[in-house]
Amino acid sequence: MEKYPLKKAGTAVPQHSPSYQSVDKKYTNGNRATFVATPDEDMIDITTSGGGERTTRLGEDEDGTSHYSVSFGGMQENVDIPGIGQYDDFHTIDWQRDIARDRMRHRHIIKKKQDSLWNLIEGAHDAWSGWLCVLLVGLCTGMVAGGIDIGASWMTDLKFGICPQAFWLNREQCCWSSNETSFDSGNCSQWLTWPEMLGQSREGAGAYIISYLFYIVLALLFAALSASLVRMFAPYACGSGIPEIKTILSGFIIRGYLGKWTLIIKCVGLILSVSAGLSLGKEGPMVHIACAIGNILSYLFPKYGRNEAKKREILSASAAAGVSVAFGAPIGGVLFSLEEVSYYFPLKTLWRSFFCALIAAFILRSINPFGNEHSVLFYVEYNKPWIFFELIPFIGLGIIGGIIATIFIKANLYWCRYRKYSKLGQYPVTEVLVVTVLTAIIAYPNPYTRMNTSQLIYLLFSQCGISNSDDLCDYNRNFTNVNSAIEIAAAGPGVHKAIWLLILALILKLIMTIFTFGMKVPCGLFIPSLCLGAIVGRIVGIGMEQLAYTYSKNWLFSGECSTGDDCITPGLYAMVGAAAVLGGVTRMTVSLVVIMFELTGGVRYIVPLMAAAMASKWVGDALGRQGIYDAHIALNGYPFLDSKDEFQHTSLAADVMQPKRNETLSVITQDSMSVDDIEALLKETEHNGYPVVVSRESQYLVGFVLRRDLNLAIANAKRMADGICGQSIVLFTSGNPPQTLGPPPLKLKKILDMAPITITDQTPMETVVDMFRKLGLRQTLVTHNGRLLGVITKKDVLRHIKQMDNEDPNSVLFN
Amino acid sequence: MREIITFIAISCALFALTQAQSYDDKRCKCICPSISSVTNSTETSHMARIMYITNVPPKQCNCDGVILPRIGRELQGKEQEFCPRCECKHENRNTGIIKVVVIIVIWVISILVIYMAFLIILDPLLNKRIKGSYQEHTNEDDEASTAGPMYHNMSLRGNVLNRVGHQQDKWKKQVKEQRRNIYDRHTMLN
Repeated sequence: MEKYPLKKAGTAVPQHSPSYQSVDKKYTNGNRATFVATPDEDMIDITTSGGGERTTRLGEDEDGTSHYSVSFGGMQENVDIPGIGQYDDFHTIDWQRDIARDRMRHRHIIKKKQDSLWNLIEGAHDAWSGWLCVLLVGLCTGMVAGGIDIGASWMTDLKFGICPQAFWLNREQCCWSSNETSFDSGNCSQWLTWPEMLGQSREGAGAYIISYLFYIVLALLFAALSASLVRMFAPYACGSGIPEIKTILSGFIIRGYLGKWTLIIKCVGLILSVSAGLSLGKEGPMVHIACAIGNILSYLFPKYGRNEAKKREILSASAAAGVSVAFGAPIGGVLFSLEEVSYYFPLKTLWRSFFCALIAAFILRSINPFGNEHSVLFYVEYNKPWIFFELIPFIGLGIIGGIIATIFIKANLYWCRYRKYSKLGQYPVTEVLVVTVLTAIIAYPNPYTRMNTSQLIYLLFSQCGISNSDDLCDYNRNFTNVNSAIEIAAAGPGVHKAIWLLILALILKLIMTIFTFGMKVPCGLFIPSLCLGAIVGRIVGIGMEQLAYTYSKNWLFSGECSTGDDCITPGLYAMVGAAAVLGGVTRMTVSLVVIMFELTGGVRYIVPLMAAAMASKWVGDALGRQGIYDAHIALNGYPFLDSKDEFQHTSLAADVMQPKRNETLSVITQDSMSVDDIEALLKETEHNGYPVVVSRESQYLVGFVLRRDLNLAIANAKRMADGICGQSIVLFTSGNPPQTLGPPPLKLKKILDMAPITITDQTPMETVVDMFRKLGLRQTLVTHNGRLLGVITKKDVLRHIKQMDNEDPNSVLFN
Repeated sequence: MREIITFIAISCALFALTQAQSYDDKRCKCICPSISSVTNSTETSHMARIMYITNVPPKQCNCDGVILPRIGRELQGKEQEFCPRCECKHENRNTGIIKVVVIIVIWVISILVIYMAFLIILDPLLNKRIKGSYQEHTNEDDEASTAGPMYHNMSLRGNVLNRVGHQQDKWKKQVKEQRRNIYDRHTMLN
């Protein structure tokens, strides 16, 4: 792979800096000069200072394109200063600038296409590299997800026993070909539980205690490993990662968050923490894993690896692939990326996401990690009709889901804030261990919490058939009627027992998840919230079913249920409930419904799911403003400008801009400051960029230069160019300075952004916020009567919004 | 590090492929209620079930193909009643992939644990160099390029070990900073 394609390109095209229109040659020279000259001459009329130089400069310009395009063009083609166009850690990217850079690069490639065959091939490679990159991302994501699924299911069963003939098989796989007629709780003679390994019997009090102990000890071991690996190698691997991914996709740099070590540790830690039986899922972190894969692979393609805005296109596609493999729902993944995580989502990215999700789902499906021909453990296939009347309980489930979700969000936020500000935060590993021990001790006695959460969800979703021997299906059925295999029946004692256990499981899961989400291990919350909802839904469903059985002659049920058919399916209620809680927690709507119906393969349940998701979102929005991810973004103070919120205040740009009154704006003049002056300015102030003006007196704006670029350019010039010393004048113009005495000037026009977005000081903040959101600005310059007045950065906007909402404006993180 | 892992993965895969498959990868699983439910004999239990697992082609994975050849005689002509209650499912799996994946997982975890133990116990003893103050870590390529000439010289003079050591130090610094952000200052990922 070529490391510095831009540099090479720069040597190939010396001097002639192409503009945006450089492909079209007739634009560059004659026509252009007059066009540009007009505003310049206007300026001469107004000002007397600096005007003279500008006219001379204009005369000396080779092509007269002192238009903004030069700055980007120059940045691309002429600069051999390494690192220009990159960003520092915890900085916000400038979408406009990056996209313009890419456009320049693209034009350059198109222009060179005719030159030689090699250039033609290079152009072709450039054109398809986006698709190739998402293809690779899809392949890798599918494989990694398959590995995590297999590893986690094996290690989860390791807590219960082992398959001595083939240790790599989990319990179900171990009993795969066993032909034993009794199948109590899935055990078979090949699978040995730990007491059996120690020579005890399978049943009995002693065996129970040994199993219990093994369960706790192994859970503790896995959790300790997970927490210490995260702490040792990649602290960024902890948590679910979706709030951070959202922030990164909105244009923030967190170096190392999507790196190699984070990827490895997140995968391994995820397997370990899921197997530890903690109340967490592996679906949310899949998004982070997929994005890390996308980031690593994008370095193979300089077009994406070296341009942060373009890289986010790949990351959006990767996020789609992550959800696609997490739920086996490719379309749901694309919509999730669109609705929940992505910020900048052009149609091109939509198609790439679609392709990426497709490939990832296909790969995972061919790995077949669960042996059920699907990519998730809890895939169920439903084809039962639902009665129109059932919409009422479905909406009721939506309301319950919204309430549970709000309780969860509030409690979890409270706990996370407590962890952040109290001494608890100093003992991350101890906290994980304590939570694990408590979870294991409480979870083991209850069979519904003892089993893997995905299995529990599967159990709750599935229909009671002949193959389901759980207590949950203990109905007083007789098998004499030939026509219907399963008919509606009275609940047996097993169902009553199961309901009590499920209620206990619900309470336990809710409380444990509150304490678990946010611990310093990889943990997601899709699965726990799906599980909470499924439990509630199943209980409501059983209740409805029994109502229909008892009052089958009632007018409500008489239409469908009179024949003795199983007209009400508790599994469907479980599904709707799961969607409701997940929808309440994450505030997803469209993507959630699509994910759920892809999980069940039944298009006819879209309406119930939509009703529940909507009801849950309304209740959630009424009780608490934010979804869990937005709440965590706010807790951490990430600079995330939510494009869904509206800015409703009446402030003006002048109120928000820096500097405030009585402060001076640090500016750089275009041709009168020396290197020493600029270095002193850089030392005194901490701004990330400086406006360049014609002169301090006039304050007419020339452009904007970034601190990082200035630093790099000065350091580079001192190292490379002869004669540059402290007294050298720094020139942001393209002509020569009037005086020729003294050391040679340092020409920095190429790092100058000559097209900064400007607004006037009377612009309403509503417009400014909209510009920041829609254009992805990093900063905008405020002018008054054409003179530079101040700067508004993204951080200022975020602070202002916080201030307006009566929150602490200092909680916004970093730059 | 990565080369080692790749090598191990490949060797494990080869090892796995050479092993004979002791488990079938296809099955047809049928679950039926006990025969007594149709033969009108004394009702034993609702929960009693029979399970049949055979290896037949997917098309034959149904009551006629699996159940009747075995117990057709006992049913005494009540096949029409018995069969609708049976659930047959054809399933596939790939034990080879499972084996390779689980072995890789075990390997990766053990390597990481060993490396962690090394970093905790041995490294402080071996490595007593005083670390310079932290510089904010930047893009990987970027850092390599800004430190380009100097770094190049060093790698010419030094050997591979030196370069690995340099990379390791850089990585350690990054992790240290991440740890500071998350565990000490609690500015991120709360």
